[in-house]
Amino acid sequence: MKTKEINLVIIGFGVIGKGFAEVLADKHDFLRANYGVDLKVTAICERDGSVVCKKGIDLDNVVELSLNNNLKAHENWTTLKSLDVINKIRSDIVLELTPSNIETGQPGLTHIKESLKRGMCVVTSNKAPLAVEFSQLQKLAKNSGAELRYEATVGGALPLINLRKHALQVNNINSVQGILNGTCNYVLTKMADEYVSMDVALKEAQNLGIAEADPSYDINGIDTGAKVVILANSLLGMDVSFKDVAVTGISDVTTEAIELARKHNHVIKLIGDVERLDVSPRLVPINHPLNVSGTLNAVTISTDIARDITVIGPGAGGKETSSSLFSDIIDIIRSK
Amino acid sequence: MKVDMKLGLKDVPGSLLWALEPISLHGGNIVSVLHSRNGKDPVSVQIGFRVKDQKSLDLIKKDMKKHTIHLTEILVEGRKYYSKKTLSIIFIGHIIDKDVLETIDRINEAGLVSSIDVLMPSPEEKSSVMLNIDVDNGNIKRLNKTILGICKEKQFLLIRSL
Ligand SMILES: NC(=O)c1ccc[n+]([C@@H]2O[C@H](COP(=O)([O-])OP(=O)(O)OC[C@H]3O[C@@H](n4cnc5c(N)ncnc54)[C@H](OP(=O)(O)O)[C@@H]3O)[C@@H](O)[C@H]2O)c1
Repeated sequence: MKTKEINLVIIGFGVIGKGFAEVLADKHDFLRANYGVDLKVTAICERDGSVVCKKGIDLDNVVELSLNNNLKAHENWTTLKSLDVINKIRSDIVLELTPSNIETGQPGLTHIKESLKRGMCVVTSNKAPLAVEFSQLQKLAKNSGAELRYEATVGGALPLINLRKHALQVNNINSVQGILNGTCNYVLTKMADEYVSMDVALKEAQNLGIAEADPSYDINGIDTGAKVVILANSLLGMDVSFKDVAVTGISDVTTEAIELARKHNHVIKLIGDVERLDVSPRLVPINHPLNVSGTLNAVTISTDIARDITVIGPGAGGKETSSSLFSDIIDIIRSK
Repeated sequence: MKVDMKLGLKDVPGSLLWALEPISLHGGNIVSVLHSRNGKDPVSVQIGFRVKDQKSLDLIKKDMKKHTIHLTEILVEGRKYYSKKTLSIIFIGHIIDKDVLETIDRINEAGLVSSIDVLMPSPEEKSSVMLNIDVDNGNIKRLNKTILGICKEKQFLLIRSL
């Protein structure tokens, strides 16, 4: 098989960036043998500078340096900022993996726009830019001829958008609903299994690194709301943004409510209801496929032909989420 | 119970027999068949029958649907019949303090509260209340509107069924 060289730029080298780099180091030869691609990372951008190496960056080395908070010690460290790299270094695909800011979509929004304007494809795990300016970004991608792919923005490792694209082509999708936030699901599961208060469950989630120090984004349903926007636009063909979603989080759910639900053979889950553009805690029958525990995510896609398809799996994690990033990357390469 | 069913049948031989089959299959005792043949297609047919209970009626309806028979109206004991559904919801808030009887009365205008289960950790804290509400399919929208109105007014958190 003829090998195609593909240059990647990574913007944002946190949990997802490092997870991706580790998997690429591990799977590089597998990808070459099975898909005929030689994936090379030519730049990695962090907030205050970048590692740039046209020959390709040694991924094991860069991950180790970053884990030790010492990326600046890399022999190819420069003070080039992410936008300088987008402007100066030509790559085939830009991986936008910076933090999500749902109010502004920044810095990801600018990274994505500037990359597309220069004809570079973008693969992202950052939901904010898409939740804020979905249709504008789609238009920009269309006009520039470069692809914008975002499987990793919703449900981490779960194939949803690509499942629709590659395996549910003939179907009309009637509704989509599910558990889209692992932190909330962990907290609610813990409250139900061990009859502890939300505060105790949340503290444990923080100690385990499942919840952020400030978990309000997850607990208040904002993260799920942003994902609902992306699924509404991509799977149900709507044209909506975050302000169109009614969001109620789980912070007021009591242990008593969870106990009542259990007594009547139900559990309480934070459900993103894409068709209704609603995020709220809901009663789910105990034997329902959406009753998944711990940090798992689960999404049911209801269609006219295949009927209900439920996808369950890890909704977060660096390596796990990279599975979705690779799915998009391979798709782009195949379509080139 | 006494059931009157109005349906539209294609004007082809055997269609009436095909429509009656689910009734006899599920123990219905046919009392009358009114066939108004005025040259229209579909032909309007009214069937009167007796059936043991609602479950049998639901099975008859299900099979008729399978036979692609178009039901226009069902009367049970002379009253318009809708299939009933039971909705389960939980309210979290100061439910007892905020006139629980008034809450139930308002819900009963659109449905019927058939059971209520309350957990109160202490008088000052919020209580959690699970309600099962029977509702005619035709009234679900109205019920939802009533429930949302109550929650807004009395500041309850609502947990709905999927
Ligand atoms: N973690 C998951 O499991 C998961 C799953 C699915 C999707 N996502 C999404 O994927 C994205 C990345 O998540 P993550 O967990 O990897 O976040 P993270 O660990 O916080 O990493 C983000 C990285 O981006 C860097 N960064 C911030 N601003 C930047 C800028 N202007 N230019 C270049 N780099 C910048 C950050 O640097 P500093 O540390 O200096 O701020 C940090 O290294 C987020 O949008 C997240 O919502 C995450």
